[in-house]
Amino acid sequence: MGPDSVPGPAVPWRKVLWERQPFPDNYVDQRFLEELRRNEGIRQYRYWAVVREAGFVGQQLSCVAIFITLWLYMEQGLLSPEKLLWTSLVCALLGYGLHQALTSQVESGCELRTRLADLQSATIFLSFTFGFSPVLKTLTESVSTDTVYAMSAVMLLAHLVSFPYAHPSPPGSLSINAALFASVCLASRLPGALHTFAMLSCALLVFALWPCLLQRLRENTPNQFTGLCVGVCIGGVGGLWTQSPGGAVLLALALGCVTLLCPLLLVRLQRHKDNIHGPWDEAEIHEDLSHFLQ
Amino acid sequence: MVLKVFFPQCCNRADSGLMVGRWISGHDSAVVLAVIHYPFIPGQVKQYIQQMQAQSGVELSVLGSWSLPKEGQEGMESFLRDLSTIFPQERWLQINREIGKTGFTCQILDRDQNGRAVQRESKKKTEKADKANGEAGGDKEEEEEEEEEKVIFVHYEQRKVMQSQLHPVENGVSDPKTDPPSELRQVFQTVARSQPLFFLDRYDDGPLKSTHWQTEGREASIIVELLKQASVPLCLLIGWLLSIWTWICGIRLFSLYPLRFLSSKLSTCVQLSYRTEHMRTLSSMKPAVGHTQFMRKANILVSFLVDVALGMLLIWWLYRDNHITMLANTLVPAADHVAKELEQLLQWLMGAPAGLKMNRALDQVLGRFFLYHIHLWISYIHLMSPFIEGILWYGGLSACLGLTFALSLLSDMVALLTFHIYCFYVYGARLYCLKIYGLSSLWRLFRGKKWNVLRQRVDSCSYDVDQLFIGTLLFTILLFLLPTTALYYLVFTLLRLVVVLFQGVLHLSVDFINSFPLFAMGLRVCRSYRLAEGVKFRVLCEEPGTALHLLMEINPLKCSTVVQTYRTPTYSCYPKDSWAALVKKLFVGELIYPWRHKTTKTD
Repeated sequence: MGPDSVPGPAVPWRKVLWERQPFPDNYVDQRFLEELRRNEGIRQYRYWAVVREAGFVGQQLSCVAIFITLWLYMEQGLLSPEKLLWTSLVCALLGYGLHQALTSQVESGCELRTRLADLQSATIFLSFTFGFSPVLKTLTESVSTDTVYAMSAVMLLAHLVSFPYAHPSPPGSLSINAALFASVCLASRLPGALHTFAMLSCALLVFALWPCLLQRLRENTPNQFTGLCVGVCIGGVGGLWTQSPGGAVLLALALGCVTLLCPLLLVRLQRHKDNIHGPWDEAEIHEDLSHFLQ
Repeated sequence: MVLKVFFPQCCNRADSGLMVGRWISGHDSAVVLAVIHYPFIPGQVKQYIQQMQAQSGVELSVLGSWSLPKEGQEGMESFLRDLSTIFPQERWLQINREIGKTGFTCQILDRDQNGRAVQRESKKKTEKADKANGEAGGDKEEEEEEEEEKVIFVHYEQRKVMQSQLHPVENGVSDPKTDPPSELRQVFQTVARSQPLFFLDRYDDGPLKSTHWQTEGREASIIVELLKQASVPLCLLIGWLLSIWTWICGIRLFSLYPLRFLSSKLSTCVQLSYRTEHMRTLSSMKPAVGHTQFMRKANILVSFLVDVALGMLLIWWLYRDNHITMLANTLVPAADHVAKELEQLLQWLMGAPAGLKMNRALDQVLGRFFLYHIHLWISYIHLMSPFIEGILWYGGLSACLGLTFALSLLSDMVALLTFHIYCFYVYGARLYCLKIYGLSSLWRLFRGKKWNVLRQRVDSCSYDVDQLFIGTLLFTILLFLLPTTALYYLVFTLLRLVVVLFQGVLHLSVDFINSFPLFAMGLRVCRSYRLAEGVKFRVLCEEPGTALHLLMEINPLKCSTVVQTYRTPTYSCYPKDSWAALVKKLFVGELIYPWRHKTTKTD
């Protein structure tokens, strides 16, 4: 009997291999691939929701641009360090108040102790930075300007890439360290020790404390959060425009790509997705094993 | 069955008589030690043999009879056979030789169960002899017929075998049940221990006349005898001096911590203690037991004498023509010159050396610190300069104790004079090590990881914001200051390595003089038969109708084995780390002490 001959209907074909059946081994009947499932876990993206989330990435990009703008101003002597320091202090206090206001709605606790701990942290930051700023100022004296710029650029790029966009509140180590390294490199190029101190305080504010506030805002007031992102993006482009129009144009293009073009691509390309699932997939354990841990 | 008879060459032309020697059990061989001539009284022979056995500890017995008939002597056959009844033995050898022929004939008389003597003939053999080492003593071949016994005569030179020592030397008593000594070793031991047998020479008026290697007269050397006589009071004197010296060293004052630490570091003190040990070995009243102890004592004595001779040579050269003044006059300017070179080096480092990016502030700090040190050092040297000549003069006198002392003193002086380089190296290395350690830890923080000490691996860790902030600041600072520190470290490490290399060379040469076995090498060169590695055989005679005759020649020990066996154990100075470990230590900034000293072990 060859593979094309039709067996008698008395013996139905069963999908087993351990039993000798009158069918050849590669025989399949009409129920072939009925367990196939296509695109099982696919999510339906809605364009504007994705744009809203991508706005956060654009916001971070603009933050970096604002920081660089401030540095450019300081380097050209257009911004005095005392002014920057006072502005940073005021912003910090405002931000802290906002943060506390948003937090107390969610959890209650020993507020005094947290306030003291925050004060302690702030004191440590400021004293360390102030103490080390003369040393930091002379760090890159003998390094050429191009090297400094290249290093800072690489580090800021690393910061953007490794930023924990999903959950920015405990900041990721690599992202914040890279940002601080870049800011130290840039700050050491400034003319005085006070400039360095001011720059570093500003960097701390922008890279370490601002994401915490953003996290709170995103959790509690999503609509205002979106408006804030848009505001920061506009502020970044505008600030850069005063220093270098070309840079501003580039930034605007990048923002447009990230916030508008990439979500479009994502939504459009979803329809080309073609995943197949079936009983041949690896087994995944979905059971909750915590009842084993007593 | 092959019977080997070890026959001394001096007895080849001996008159007829009885052969005295030893049967080597288990190996079917016999060693002939001497021939006692006719006429003799059997009772006196037995008494003599018992006396010799008691004195020497060797199981002597009468092996058989030897006959070399002169003209006119005939008809000894039956007489010789009857002798076997007088000296009851298990086996009785009857060896005949005729003048004009080189070969011997041998007849073996065995006692079977009935007590009757059964005679066996010997057969000729045609084999080649080849070199043998250690265990085997000759060729053993299977016979075609079981009953016929073959005899091989192995001729040996008695004086050489007696004085020779077979290597590897077995010290102590080896258990005869588990590890029986080989046949060759037993032969050598037998001949060596039978010294009392060889005291009877032809000028003695005793009842017995025997032939052995000392028959023509006992060998003695007046110098050796005089030395032996003089050695006893000399040993007493040295022992007394040593006891005074040990008492001085044992005073409580000297065992305070700083002095003890210093004395363990200064190589002169180490060498002094080492020589004291040697003197103690030499001056012990007991004579050397065993070959190894004797060789060690002799080696120590000879190397000490050579050392002192070389030291005297050095003194002679040093103290004539005002060499000392010349040396002293060049020493201070040399030290000045070194300091000036160092200052110039530091000035160069404080600039922009080789175009490297140095941090100016740190550069200035380090450079000034080291410059101040050098200034202090130069003042110190100038303060000492009037005393240098005196120090050199008295220091040179120490060479009369041996060249090794002069070299150790030189090494110590070099160490003292370059102490500032050592200080600089330690400062630079510590700073660098701290920096590397900090950098590696902060790099882990940069990536958000930390070192898990318990599991000895790198784990991820969530840090606080302030920890991250301060960590990044410190990381940046350390990273940018790294080239400066690394350069200083490199320069001072190189200087230190140069000094260490020089000191190492001095120590190695001291070590070499201390440990090289001059006496053993001299013995190997002049009297090579005294240190034997094995034997080789040469065929002497292969005449048909007679037994096979082989000559046993001693194979001397190879020179490298001589050095290896007889090296005096010293505080040998050898590199502590392999190259890879050394480079790794240098890279990380650990302090390196590349030479390691073993403490002396005396057994």
